[in-house]
Amino acid sequence: MTPRVSWGERLTQWAFYLPVIFMLVFFALPMALTVVFSVFERTMFWMEPGFSLKAYENFFFSARLKNFLSSMYYSLIAVAICFVLGFPIAVFLRRSVPQVAQHRVILLFILPFMVSEIIRIFALRPVLQRNGLVNTTLQNLGVIDEPITALIYTHTGVIIGEVLSFLPFIVFSGFLAMEAVPKYIFEACDDLGVGPVQRFRDIILPLAAPGIFAGCVFIFVNGIGVALLPNILGGPGAVNAGLIATQAIAALDFPLAMAVSAIMMVTLMSLLYIGHRIFDLTKILAPIN
Amino acid sequence: MNDYDNIWAHRAKWTYLLLIVFTLMSPVFYVMYISFNLNGFGAAEYIFTWKWYGQIFSDQLMMQALRWTMTLALVTTLIAVPMALLAAKHYKATDKKLLVVFLMLAPLFVAPDILGSALLVFFKNTNGMFKWLGDLWGVDFMDSWFRLGFLTALIGLIIYTIPYSFIVILITMGRYRVEQTEAARDCGASGWRAFWDIEFPQIRAGVFSACSFTVILCFNEYTRTSLLKGGFDTFTTVLVSQMLNEGMSETSYAMSSFVSFVAIALIGGIILYTMIRSESLARIERAKAEPVAA
Repeated sequence: MTPRVSWGERLTQWAFYLPVIFMLVFFALPMALTVVFSVFERTMFWMEPGFSLKAYENFFFSARLKNFLSSMYYSLIAVAICFVLGFPIAVFLRRSVPQVAQHRVILLFILPFMVSEIIRIFALRPVLQRNGLVNTTLQNLGVIDEPITALIYTHTGVIIGEVLSFLPFIVFSGFLAMEAVPKYIFEACDDLGVGPVQRFRDIILPLAAPGIFAGCVFIFVNGIGVALLPNILGGPGAVNAGLIATQAIAALDFPLAMAVSAIMMVTLMSLLYIGHRIFDLTKILAPIN
Repeated sequence: MNDYDNIWAHRAKWTYLLLIVFTLMSPVFYVMYISFNLNGFGAAEYIFTWKWYGQIFSDQLMMQALRWTMTLALVTTLIAVPMALLAAKHYKATDKKLLVVFLMLAPLFVAPDILGSALLVFFKNTNGMFKWLGDLWGVDFMDSWFRLGFLTALIGLIIYTIPYSFIVILITMGRYRVEQTEAARDCGASGWRAFWDIEFPQIRAGVFSACSFTVILCFNEYTRTSLLKGGFDTFTTVLVSQMLNEGMSETSYAMSSFVSFVAIALIGGIILYTMIRSESLARIERAKAEPVAA
Protein backbone atom coordinates (compact mmCIF):
# COMPACT_ATOMS: atom_id res chain seq x y z
CA MET A 1 0.00 0.00 0.00
CA THR A 2 1.32 3.46 -0.87
CA PRO A 3 1.94 5.57 2.28
CA ARG A 4 -0.25 8.66 2.57
CA VAL A 5 1.63 11.81 1.71
CA SER A 6 0.69 14.79 3.87
CA TRP A 7 -0.18 18.19 2.38
CA GLY A 8 2.97 19.64 3.92
CA GLU A 9 5.19 17.10 2.20
CA ARG A 10 3.35 17.54 -1.09
CA LEU A 11 3.85 21.30 -0.82
CA THR A 12 7.55 20.79 -0.07
CA GLN A 13 7.92 18.61 -3.17
CA TRP A 14 6.28 21.34 -5.27
CA ALA A 15 8.58 23.96 -3.74
CA PHE A 16 11.50 22.31 -5.55
CA TYR A 17 9.82 23.14 -8.87
CA LEU A 18 9.45 26.82 -7.92
CA PRO A 19 12.82 28.03 -9.35
CA VAL A 20 12.21 26.14 -12.61
CA ILE A 21 8.71 27.64 -12.92
CA PHE A 22 10.05 31.11 -12.10
CA MET A 23 12.76 30.87 -14.75
CA LEU A 24 10.32 29.48 -17.30
CA VAL A 25 7.87 32.36 -16.74
CA PHE A 26 10.28 35.26 -16.29
CA PHE A 27 13.26 34.20 -18.37
CA ALA A 28 12.43 31.59 -21.02
CA LEU A 29 9.01 33.04 -21.90
CA PRO A 30 10.16 36.68 -22.33
CA MET A 31 13.11 35.51 -24.43
CA ALA A 32 10.86 33.33 -26.61
CA LEU A 33 8.29 36.11 -26.94
CA THR A 34 10.90 38.42 -28.48
CA VAL A 35 10.26 36.51 -31.72
CA VAL A 36 6.51 37.29 -31.49
CA PHE A 37 6.95 40.94 -30.46
CA SER A 38 9.49 41.49 -33.23
CA VAL A 39 6.79 41.04 -35.90
CA PHE A 40 4.32 43.43 -34.21
CA GLU A 41 3.47 46.72 -35.93
CA ARG A 42 5.32 49.78 -34.64
CA THR A 43 3.11 52.64 -33.40
CA MET A 44 4.10 56.16 -32.33
CA PHE A 45 5.13 55.24 -28.76
CA TRP A 46 4.61 51.49 -28.55
CA MET A 47 3.55 48.60 -30.79
CA GLU A 48 0.37 46.70 -31.64
CA PRO A 49 -0.33 43.07 -32.58
CA GLY A 50 0.09 42.32 -36.26
CA PHE A 51 2.52 40.70 -38.65
CA SER A 52 5.25 42.85 -40.09
CA LEU A 53 8.82 42.04 -41.05
CA LYS A 54 9.72 45.74 -41.06
CA ALA A 55 11.98 45.37 -38.00
CA TYR A 56 13.99 42.61 -39.67
CA GLU A 57 14.13 44.68 -42.86
CA ASN A 58 15.46 47.59 -40.76
CA PHE A 59 18.12 45.32 -39.39
CA PHE A 60 19.20 43.26 -42.38
CA PHE A 61 19.01 45.96 -45.08
CA SER A 62 20.84 48.76 -43.30
CA ALA A 63 24.23 49.57 -41.79
CA ARG A 64 23.09 47.69 -38.67
CA LEU A 65 23.89 44.32 -40.24
CA LYS A 66 27.39 45.47 -41.16
CA ASN A 67 27.90 46.79 -37.61
CA PHE A 68 26.57 43.55 -36.15
CA LEU A 69 28.90 41.43 -38.29
CA SER A 70 31.86 43.66 -37.52
CA SER A 71 31.10 43.42 -33.77
CA MET A 72 31.11 39.62 -34.23
CA TYR A 73 34.54 39.86 -35.85
CA TYR A 74 35.98 42.00 -33.02
CA SER A 75 34.34 39.79 -30.44
CA LEU A 76 36.04 36.76 -32.01
CA ILE A 77 39.39 38.55 -31.70
CA ALA A 78 38.62 39.18 -28.00
CA VAL A 79 37.74 35.49 -27.56
CA ALA A 80 41.06 34.47 -29.11
CA ILE A 81 43.04 36.89 -26.90
CA CYS A 82 41.17 35.78 -23.77
CA PHE A 83 41.87 32.14 -24.63
CA VAL A 84 45.58 32.72 -25.26
CA LEU A 85 45.98 34.76 -22.04
CA GLY A 86 43.58 32.91 -19.75
CA PHE A 87 43.59 29.22 -20.61
CA PRO A 88 47.26 28.62 -19.70
CA ILE A 89 46.38 29.91 -16.21
CA ALA A 90 43.68 27.24 -15.89
CA VAL A 91 46.14 24.55 -17.03
CA PHE A 92 48.82 25.81 -14.64
CA LEU A 93 46.35 25.87 -11.72
CA ARG A 94 45.19 22.30 -12.28
CA ARG A 95 48.63 20.94 -13.05
CA SER A 96 51.02 22.69 -10.71
CA VAL A 97 49.12 24.28 -7.82
CA PRO A 98 48.24 22.10 -4.79
CA GLN A 99 44.54 21.24 -4.67
CA VAL A 100 43.92 23.15 -1.42
CA ALA A 101 45.26 26.36 -2.94
CA GLN A 102 43.49 26.03 -6.32
CA HIS A 103 40.13 27.41 -5.16
CA ARG A 104 41.79 30.32 -3.37
CA VAL A 105 43.60 31.32 -6.55
CA ILE A 106 40.31 31.08 -8.47
CA LEU A 107 38.81 33.48 -5.91
CA LEU A 108 41.49 35.98 -6.96
CA PHE A 109 39.96 35.98 -10.43
CA ILE A 110 36.50 36.47 -8.97
CA LEU A 111 37.76 39.68 -7.34
CA PRO A 112 37.91 41.84 -10.51
CA PHE A 113 34.73 40.24 -11.73
CA MET A 114 32.90 41.32 -8.57
CA VAL A 115 33.73 44.98 -9.17
CA SER A 116 30.93 46.46 -11.25
CA GLU A 117 31.31 45.96 -14.98
CA ILE A 118 30.23 49.58 -15.46
CA ILE A 119 32.97 50.83 -13.14
CA ARG A 120 35.59 48.61 -14.76
CA ILE A 121 34.63 49.86 -18.22
CA PHE A 122 34.49 53.52 -17.14
CA ALA A 123 37.74 53.06 -15.21
CA LEU A 124 39.45 52.18 -18.48
CA ARG A 125 38.93 55.73 -19.74
CA PRO A 126 41.50 57.38 -17.43
CA VAL A 127 43.81 54.42 -18.03
CA LEU A 128 43.70 54.36 -21.83
CA GLN A 129 43.09 57.95 -22.85
CA ARG A 130 45.70 60.33 -24.30
CA ASN A 131 47.03 61.53 -20.93
CA GLY A 132 46.04 58.31 -19.14
CA LEU A 133 48.00 55.83 -17.08
CA VAL A 134 49.29 53.70 -19.99
CA ASN A 135 50.50 56.59 -22.15
CA THR A 136 52.01 58.49 -19.19
CA THR A 137 53.86 55.40 -17.97
CA LEU A 138 55.17 54.53 -21.44
CA GLN A 139 56.28 58.12 -22.01
CA ASN A 140 57.98 58.32 -18.61
CA LEU A 141 59.82 55.08 -19.38
CA GLY A 142 60.92 56.54 -22.72
CA VAL A 143 59.21 53.77 -24.70
CA ILE A 144 57.11 56.23 -26.75
CA ASP A 145 57.51 59.91 -27.63
CA GLU A 146 53.90 60.64 -28.57
CA PRO A 147 50.81 59.25 -26.78
CA ILE A 148 49.16 56.27 -28.50
CA THR A 149 45.69 57.48 -29.50
CA ALA A 150 44.42 54.16 -30.83
CA LEU A 151 43.93 52.73 -27.34
CA ILE A 152 40.51 54.28 -26.86
CA TYR A 153 37.52 55.43 -28.96
CA THR A 154 38.49 52.82 -31.56
CA HIS A 155 37.77 49.14 -32.14
CA THR A 156 41.03 48.42 -30.29
CA GLY A 157 39.55 50.11 -27.22
CA VAL A 158 36.47 47.88 -27.44
CA ILE A 159 38.63 44.75 -27.75
CA ILE A 160 40.75 45.82 -24.73
CA GLY A 161 37.52 46.39 -22.77
CA GLU A 162 36.13 43.00 -23.77
CA VAL A 163 39.35 41.20 -22.82
CA LEU A 164 39.59 42.91 -19.43
CA SER A 165 35.90 42.38 -18.73
CA PHE A 166 35.56 38.74 -19.73
CA LEU A 167 38.99 37.16 -19.27
CA PRO A 168 38.12 35.68 -15.84
CA PHE A 169 35.43 33.57 -17.53
CA ILE A 170 37.91 31.64 -19.66
CA VAL A 171 39.89 30.98 -16.47
CA PHE A 172 36.75 29.68 -14.66
CA SER A 173 35.50 27.54 -17.53
CA GLY A 174 39.04 26.35 -18.31
CA PHE A 175 39.51 25.45 -14.64
CA LEU A 176 36.30 23.36 -14.68
CA ALA A 177 37.25 21.86 -18.05
CA MET A 178 40.70 20.83 -16.83
CA GLU A 179 39.02 18.57 -14.27
CA ALA A 180 38.64 16.19 -17.24
CA VAL A 181 42.42 16.06 -17.69
CA PRO A 182 43.94 13.99 -14.87
CA LYS A 183 47.36 14.98 -13.58
CA TYR A 184 48.92 11.63 -14.53
CA ILE A 185 48.33 12.46 -18.20
CA PHE A 186 50.90 15.24 -17.90
CA GLU A 187 53.33 12.84 -16.24
CA ALA A 188 52.76 10.25 -18.99
CA CYS A 189 53.38 12.93 -21.63
CA ASP A 190 56.57 13.99 -19.86
CA ASP A 191 57.77 10.36 -19.70
CA LEU A 192 57.11 9.95 -23.42
CA GLY A 193 58.81 13.23 -24.25
CA VAL A 194 55.67 14.77 -25.80
CA GLY A 195 56.14 18.49 -26.45
CA PRO A 196 53.76 21.15 -25.07
CA VAL A 197 52.19 21.90 -28.47
CA GLN A 198 51.39 18.27 -29.26
CA ARG A 199 50.22 17.70 -25.68
CA PHE A 200 47.85 20.65 -25.95
CA ARG A 201 46.56 19.76 -29.43
CA ASP A 202 46.16 16.00 -28.98
CA ILE A 203 45.29 15.62 -25.31
CA ILE A 204 44.21 18.77 -23.46
CA LEU A 205 42.09 20.30 -26.22
CA PRO A 206 39.90 17.23 -26.92
CA LEU A 207 39.36 16.51 -23.22
CA ALA A 208 38.75 20.10 -22.10
CA ALA A 209 36.79 21.13 -25.22
CA PRO A 210 33.29 21.43 -23.58
CA GLY A 211 34.56 23.90 -20.96
CA ILE A 212 36.64 25.87 -23.44
CA PHE A 213 33.66 26.08 -25.80
CA ALA A 214 31.31 27.32 -23.03
CA GLY A 215 33.80 29.98 -21.96
CA CYS A 216 34.31 31.13 -25.55
CA VAL A 217 30.55 31.31 -26.22
CA PHE A 218 30.08 33.39 -23.07
CA ILE A 219 32.74 35.90 -24.14
CA PHE A 220 31.55 35.99 -27.74
CA VAL A 221 27.88 36.54 -26.88
CA ASN A 222 28.63 39.20 -24.27
CA GLY A 223 31.11 40.85 -26.63
CA ILE A 224 28.36 41.42 -29.18
CA GLY A 225 25.72 42.13 -26.54
CA VAL A 226 27.13 44.48 -23.88
CA ALA A 227 26.21 47.96 -25.14
CA LEU A 228 28.43 49.89 -22.75
CA LEU A 229 31.65 48.57 -24.28
CA PRO A 230 31.29 50.27 -27.69
CA ASN A 231 29.33 53.11 -26.09
CA ILE A 232 32.14 54.11 -23.73
CA LEU A 233 35.33 52.76 -25.30
CA GLY A 234 34.44 52.64 -28.99
CA GLY A 235 34.58 55.33 -31.60
CA PRO A 236 32.51 55.91 -34.72
CA GLY A 237 31.26 52.63 -36.19
CA ALA A 238 31.78 50.69 -32.97
CA VAL A 239 28.25 49.36 -32.57
CA ASN A 240 27.13 45.95 -31.36
CA ALA A 241 23.79 44.18 -31.00
CA GLY A 242 23.28 45.40 -27.44
CA LEU A 243 23.80 49.00 -28.50
CA ILE A 244 21.42 48.59 -31.47
CA ALA A 245 18.76 47.23 -29.08
CA THR A 246 19.16 50.03 -26.52
CA GLN A 247 19.22 52.68 -29.24
CA ALA A 248 16.03 51.18 -30.68
CA ILE A 249 14.37 51.36 -27.26
CA ALA A 250 15.50 54.97 -26.83
CA ALA A 251 13.97 55.71 -30.25
CA LEU A 252 10.78 53.86 -29.13
CA ASP A 253 11.25 51.32 -31.94
CA PHE A 254 10.33 48.33 -29.78
CA PRO A 255 9.85 45.82 -32.64
CA LEU A 256 13.42 46.51 -33.81
CA ALA A 257 14.76 46.02 -30.26
CA MET A 258 12.87 42.72 -30.10
CA ALA A 259 14.15 41.67 -33.52
CA VAL A 260 17.74 42.26 -32.35
CA SER A 261 17.01 40.30 -29.15
CA ALA A 262 15.50 37.47 -31.18
CA ILE A 263 18.53 37.40 -33.51
CA MET A 264 20.84 37.30 -30.49
CA MET A 265 18.78 34.52 -28.91
CA VAL A 266 18.81 32.44 -32.10
CA THR A 267 22.59 33.00 -32.41
CA LEU A 268 23.12 31.87 -28.82
CA MET A 269 20.80 28.86 -29.05
CA SER A 270 22.41 27.74 -32.32
CA LEU A 271 25.89 28.02 -30.83
CA LEU A 272 24.89 26.11 -27.69
CA TYR A 273 23.06 23.44 -29.73
CA ILE A 274 26.02 22.92 -32.06
CA GLY A 275 28.40 22.91 -29.08
CA HIS A 276 26.25 20.41 -27.21
CA ARG A 277 26.02 18.09 -30.24
CA ILE A 278 29.77 18.15 -30.78
CA PHE A 279 31.17 18.33 -27.23
CA ASP A 280 28.30 17.32 -24.89
CA LEU A 281 28.29 20.42 -22.70
CA THR A 282 26.90 18.53 -19.68
CA LYS A 283 30.44 17.17 -19.21
CA ILE A 284 31.40 20.59 -17.80
CA LEU A 285 29.31 19.88 -14.73
CA ALA A 286 30.73 16.39 -14.22
CA PRO A 287 32.98 17.56 -11.33
CA ILE A 288 30.00 18.80 -9.33
CA ASN A 289 27.59 15.96 -10.12
CA MET B 1 59.48 17.63 -16.96
CA ASN B 2 57.37 18.60 -13.96
CA ASP B 3 57.05 22.28 -13.05
CA TYR B 4 58.49 21.61 -9.63
CA ASP B 5 61.65 20.33 -11.29
CA ASN B 6 62.25 23.77 -12.74
CA ILE B 7 61.64 26.27 -9.98
CA TRP B 8 62.18 29.29 -12.26
CA ALA B 9 59.54 28.15 -14.76
CA HIS B 10 57.16 27.64 -11.84
CA ARG B 11 57.91 31.10 -10.45
CA ALA B 12 57.53 32.67 -13.89
CA LYS B 13 54.06 31.11 -14.20
CA TRP B 14 53.03 32.44 -10.78
CA THR B 15 54.33 35.89 -11.75
CA TYR B 16 52.32 35.76 -14.96
CA LEU B 17 49.18 34.74 -13.05
CA LEU B 18 49.53 37.55 -10.52
CA LEU B 19 50.35 40.02 -13.31
CA ILE B 20 47.09 39.14 -15.07
CA VAL B 21 45.11 39.63 -11.82
CA PHE B 22 46.89 42.94 -11.26
CA THR B 23 46.19 44.05 -14.86
CA LEU B 24 42.51 43.18 -14.44
CA MET B 25 42.38 45.17 -11.22
CA SER B 26 44.63 48.07 -12.23
CA PRO B 27 41.86 50.29 -13.70
CA VAL B 28 39.94 49.94 -10.43
CA PHE B 29 43.05 50.66 -8.33
CA TYR B 30 43.79 53.70 -10.50
CA VAL B 31 40.27 55.02 -9.99
CA MET B 32 40.68 54.54 -6.23
CA TYR B 33 43.97 56.44 -6.37
CA ILE B 34 42.36 59.35 -8.25
CA SER B 35 39.37 59.40 -5.88
CA PHE B 36 41.63 60.56 -3.03
CA ASN B 37 43.21 63.39 -5.04
CA LEU B 38 41.94 66.87 -4.21
CA ASN B 39 42.92 68.03 -7.71
CA GLY B 40 41.22 65.15 -9.51
CA PHE B 41 42.31 63.24 -12.61
CA GLY B 42 45.33 64.39 -14.62
CA ALA B 43 46.53 67.01 -12.11
CA ALA B 44 50.27 67.53 -11.77
CA GLU B 45 50.06 67.77 -7.98
CA TYR B 46 48.55 64.99 -5.81
CA ILE B 47 46.95 66.15 -2.54
CA PHE B 48 45.29 63.45 -0.43
CA THR B 49 41.69 64.19 0.59
CA TRP B 50 38.46 62.57 1.82
CA LYS B 51 36.48 65.50 0.40
CA TRP B 52 34.87 63.66 -2.55
CA TYR B 53 33.67 60.84 -0.28
CA GLY B 54 32.18 63.41 2.09
CA GLN B 55 30.34 64.96 -0.83
CA ILE B 56 28.72 61.73 -1.98
CA PHE B 57 27.51 60.93 1.54
CA SER B 58 26.00 64.38 1.98
CA ASP B 59 24.16 64.15 -1.35
CA GLN B 60 20.48 63.42 -0.62
CA LEU B 61 19.82 61.95 -4.09
CA MET B 62 22.76 59.62 -3.64
CA MET B 63 21.66 58.54 -0.16
CA GLN B 64 18.15 57.84 -1.43
CA ALA B 65 19.62 55.79 -4.32
CA LEU B 66 21.82 53.93 -1.83
CA ARG B 67 18.76 53.07 0.29
CA TRP B 68 16.92 51.72 -2.77
CA THR B 69 19.97 49.69 -3.78
CA MET B 70 20.30 48.21 -0.30
CA THR B 71 16.61 47.33 -0.17
CA LEU B 72 16.80 45.71 -3.62
CA ALA B 73 19.95 43.81 -2.63
CA LEU B 74 18.37 42.57 0.60
CA VAL B 75 15.10 41.41 -0.97
CA THR B 76 16.92 39.84 -3.95
CA THR B 77 19.19 37.91 -1.57
CA LEU B 78 16.22 36.74 0.52
CA ILE B 79 14.52 35.37 -2.59
CA ALA B 80 17.32 34.39 -5.00
CA VAL B 81 19.50 32.40 -2.58
CA PRO B 82 16.72 30.13 -1.23
CA MET B 83 15.53 29.65 -4.82
CA ALA B 84 19.05 28.72 -5.92
CA LEU B 85 19.24 26.30 -2.99
CA LEU B 86 15.93 24.70 -4.00
CA ALA B 87 17.12 24.53 -7.62
CA ALA B 88 20.41 22.90 -6.59
CA LYS B 89 18.56 20.30 -4.51
CA HIS B 90 16.13 19.72 -7.38
CA TYR B 91 19.08 19.32 -9.77
CA LYS B 92 20.64 16.70 -7.51
CA ALA B 93 17.40 14.71 -7.28
CA THR B 94 15.96 14.95 -10.79
CA ASP B 95 16.67 12.90 -13.90
CA LYS B 96 16.01 15.94 -16.11
CA LYS B 97 19.28 17.62 -15.15
CA LEU B 98 19.80 19.26 -18.53
CA LEU B 99 16.56 21.28 -18.32
CA VAL B 100 17.28 22.48 -14.78
CA VAL B 101 20.88 23.40 -15.46
CA PHE B 102 19.95 25.12 -18.74
CA LEU B 103 17.26 27.26 -17.13
CA MET B 104 19.42 28.17 -14.15
CA LEU B 105 22.59 29.01 -16.10
CA ALA B 106 21.23 30.36 -19.39
CA PRO B 107 20.90 33.99 -18.11
CA LEU B 108 24.71 34.03 -17.86
CA PHE B 109 24.90 33.71 -21.64
CA VAL B 110 22.35 36.40 -22.47
CA ALA B 111 23.85 39.88 -22.71
CA PRO B 112 22.40 42.34 -20.15
CA ASP B 113 20.98 44.75 -22.74
CA ILE B 114 19.24 41.94 -24.60
CA LEU B 115 17.70 40.41 -21.47
CA GLY B 116 16.77 43.85 -20.14
CA SER B 117 15.05 44.80 -23.41
CA ALA B 118 13.18 41.48 -23.59
CA LEU B 119 11.97 41.84 -19.97
CA LEU B 120 11.01 45.49 -20.45
CA VAL B 121 8.73 44.70 -23.40
CA PHE B 122 7.41 41.56 -21.67
CA PHE B 123 6.46 43.49 -18.50
CA LYS B 124 4.89 46.36 -20.43
CA ASN B 125 2.78 43.89 -22.41
CA THR B 126 1.87 41.88 -19.31
CA ASN B 127 0.87 45.09 -17.54
CA GLY B 128 -1.24 46.04 -20.56
CA MET B 129 -2.88 42.62 -20.51
CA PHE B 130 -3.79 42.91 -16.82
CA LYS B 131 -5.17 46.41 -17.39
CA TRP B 132 -7.30 45.10 -20.25
CA LEU B 133 -8.55 42.22 -18.08
CA GLY B 134 -9.29 44.69 -15.28
CA ASP B 135 -11.32 46.87 -17.64
CA LEU B 136 -13.15 43.78 -18.90
CA TRP B 137 -14.08 42.68 -15.39
CA GLY B 138 -14.59 46.18 -14.06
CA VAL B 139 -11.84 45.97 -11.40
CA ASP B 140 -8.72 48.11 -11.02
CA PHE B 141 -6.54 46.27 -8.50
CA MET B 142 -4.58 44.57 -11.31
CA ASP B 143 -3.65 47.85 -13.01
CA SER B 144 -0.31 48.17 -11.24
CA TRP B 145 0.75 44.52 -11.62
CA PHE B 146 4.02 44.43 -13.53
CA ARG B 147 4.08 48.20 -13.99
CA LEU B 148 7.78 49.12 -14.17
CA GLY B 149 9.02 49.63 -10.61
CA PHE B 150 10.45 47.78 -7.64
CA LEU B 151 8.90 44.39 -8.50
CA THR B 152 10.10 44.35 -12.11
CA ALA B 153 13.61 45.51 -11.11
CA LEU B 154 13.61 42.78 -8.45
CA ILE B 155 12.64 40.08 -10.97
CA GLY B 156 15.43 41.29 -13.29
CA LEU B 157 17.94 41.08 -10.44
CA ILE B 158 16.79 37.61 -9.37
CA ILE B 159 17.24 36.32 -12.94
CA TYR B 160 20.68 37.95 -13.04
CA THR B 161 21.95 36.63 -9.69
CA ILE B 162 20.40 33.18 -9.54
CA PRO B 163 22.99 31.48 -11.83
CA TYR B 164 25.86 32.60 -9.57
CA SER B 165 24.14 31.43 -6.38
CA PHE B 166 23.13 28.16 -8.06
CA ILE B 167 26.71 27.37 -9.14
CA VAL B 168 28.25 28.29 -5.77
CA ILE B 169 25.72 26.20 -3.82
CA LEU B 170 25.96 23.29 -6.26
CA ILE B 171 29.76 23.21 -5.88
CA THR B 172 29.42 23.13 -2.07
CA MET B 173 26.77 20.42 -2.30
CA GLY B 174 29.16 18.32 -4.38
CA ARG B 175 31.04 17.49 -1.18
CA TYR B 176 27.90 16.45 0.71
CA ARG B 177 27.10 12.73 0.87
CA VAL B 178 23.40 12.12 0.40
CA GLU B 179 23.63 8.93 2.51
CA GLN B 180 23.74 11.20 5.58
CA THR B 181 20.25 12.49 4.78
CA GLU B 182 19.05 8.93 4.20
CA ALA B 183 20.50 7.89 7.57
CA ALA B 184 18.76 10.84 9.29
CA ARG B 185 15.43 9.94 7.64
CA ASP B 186 15.88 6.29 8.70
CA CYS B 187 16.35 7.53 12.28
CA GLY B 188 12.95 9.22 12.06
CA ALA B 189 13.94 12.80 11.25
CA SER B 190 11.56 14.78 9.05
CA GLY B 191 12.77 16.05 5.67
CA TRP B 192 13.19 19.55 7.10
CA ARG B 193 15.15 18.40 10.22
CA ALA B 194 17.40 16.20 8.07
CA PHE B 195 18.13 19.22 5.89
CA TRP B 196 18.50 21.81 8.65
CA ASP B 197 20.48 19.72 11.18
CA ILE B 198 22.58 17.53 8.89
CA GLU B 199 22.91 18.99 5.40
CA PHE B 200 22.74 22.75 5.95
CA PRO B 201 25.71 22.97 8.38
CA GLN B 202 27.85 21.33 5.68
CA ILE B 203 26.75 23.62 2.86
CA ARG B 204 26.47 26.75 5.01
CA ALA B 205 29.70 28.26 3.63
CA GLY B 206 28.34 27.98 0.09
CA VAL B 207 25.01 29.54 1.05
CA PHE B 208 26.71 32.48 2.79
CA SER B 209 29.07 32.95 -0.16
CA ALA B 210 26.02 32.97 -2.45
CA CYS B 211 24.46 35.66 -0.23
CA SER B 212 27.63 37.79 -0.44
CA PHE B 213 27.86 37.40 -4.22
CA THR B 214 24.18 38.32 -4.60
CA VAL B 215 24.61 41.51 -2.56
CA ILE B 216 27.71 42.50 -4.54
CA LEU B 217 26.05 41.76 -7.88
CA CYS B 218 22.99 43.80 -6.90
CA PHE B 219 25.20 46.75 -5.95
CA ASN B 220 27.02 46.47 -9.28
CA GLU B 221 24.16 45.82 -11.65
CA TYR B 222 23.17 48.65 -13.98
CA THR B 223 21.78 47.69 -17.39
CA ARG B 224 18.80 45.49 -16.47
CA THR B 225 17.91 47.66 -13.46
CA SER B 226 18.02 50.89 -15.46
CA LEU B 227 15.59 49.42 -17.99
CA LEU B 228 13.22 47.85 -15.44
CA LYS B 229 13.30 50.16 -12.41
CA GLY B 230 10.61 52.63 -13.41
CA GLY B 231 10.69 55.80 -11.31
CA PHE B 232 13.36 55.27 -8.64
CA ASP B 233 17.15 55.39 -8.85
CA THR B 234 19.84 53.01 -7.68
CA PHE B 235 23.47 53.72 -6.86
CA THR B 236 24.78 52.62 -10.27
CA THR B 237 22.03 54.34 -12.28
CA VAL B 238 22.87 57.66 -10.58
CA LEU B 239 26.58 57.00 -11.10
CA VAL B 240 26.23 56.17 -14.80
CA SER B 241 23.86 59.05 -15.53
CA GLN B 242 26.36 61.42 -13.87
CA MET B 243 29.23 59.92 -15.85
CA LEU B 244 27.34 60.12 -19.15
CA ASN B 245 26.00 63.63 -18.57
CA GLU B 246 28.91 65.35 -16.83
CA GLY B 247 31.83 63.02 -17.62
CA MET B 248 34.02 61.52 -14.91
CA SER B 249 33.83 64.05 -12.09
CA GLU B 250 35.72 63.76 -8.79
CA THR B 251 32.59 62.44 -7.05
CA SER B 252 32.14 59.85 -9.84
CA TYR B 253 35.61 58.52 -8.99
CA ALA B 254 34.71 58.47 -5.29
CA MET B 255 31.40 56.70 -5.94
CA SER B 256 33.05 54.09 -8.18
CA SER B 257 35.75 53.52 -5.56
CA PHE B 258 33.21 53.20 -2.75
CA VAL B 259 31.32 50.41 -4.58
CA SER B 260 34.63 48.71 -5.44
CA PHE B 261 35.83 48.92 -1.82
CA VAL B 262 32.63 47.21 -0.62
CA ALA B 263 32.99 44.42 -3.20
CA ILE B 264 36.69 43.88 -2.49
CA ALA B 265 36.11 43.87 1.28
CA LEU B 266 33.39 41.23 0.93
CA ILE B 267 35.41 38.99 -1.41
CA GLY B 268 38.52 39.54 0.71
CA GLY B 269 36.46 38.45 3.72
CA ILE B 270 35.38 35.28 1.94
CA ILE B 271 38.96 34.46 0.90
CA LEU B 272 40.16 35.05 4.47
CA TYR B 273 37.33 32.97 5.92
CA THR B 274 37.98 30.01 3.56
CA MET B 275 41.69 30.17 4.36
CA ILE B 276 41.10 30.18 8.13
CA ARG B 277 38.46 27.44 7.81
CA SER B 278 40.64 25.17 5.65
CA GLU B 279 43.54 25.72 8.08
CA SER B 280 41.40 24.68 11.04
CA LEU B 281 40.03 21.67 9.12
CA ALA B 282 43.59 20.67 8.25
CA ARG B 283 44.55 21.01 11.95
CA ILE B 284 41.65 18.73 12.95
CA GLU B 285 42.64 16.19 10.29
CA ARG B 286 46.24 16.23 11.53
CA ALA B 287 45.10 15.84 15.14
CA LYS B 288 42.93 12.86 14.19
CA ALA B 289 45.81 11.26 12.31
CA GLU B 290 48.21 11.54 15.26
CA PRO B 291 48.29 8.50 17.59
CA VAL B 292 46.86 9.14 21.05
CA ALA B 293 49.62 9.21 23.70
CA ALA B 294 49.37 6.43 26.27
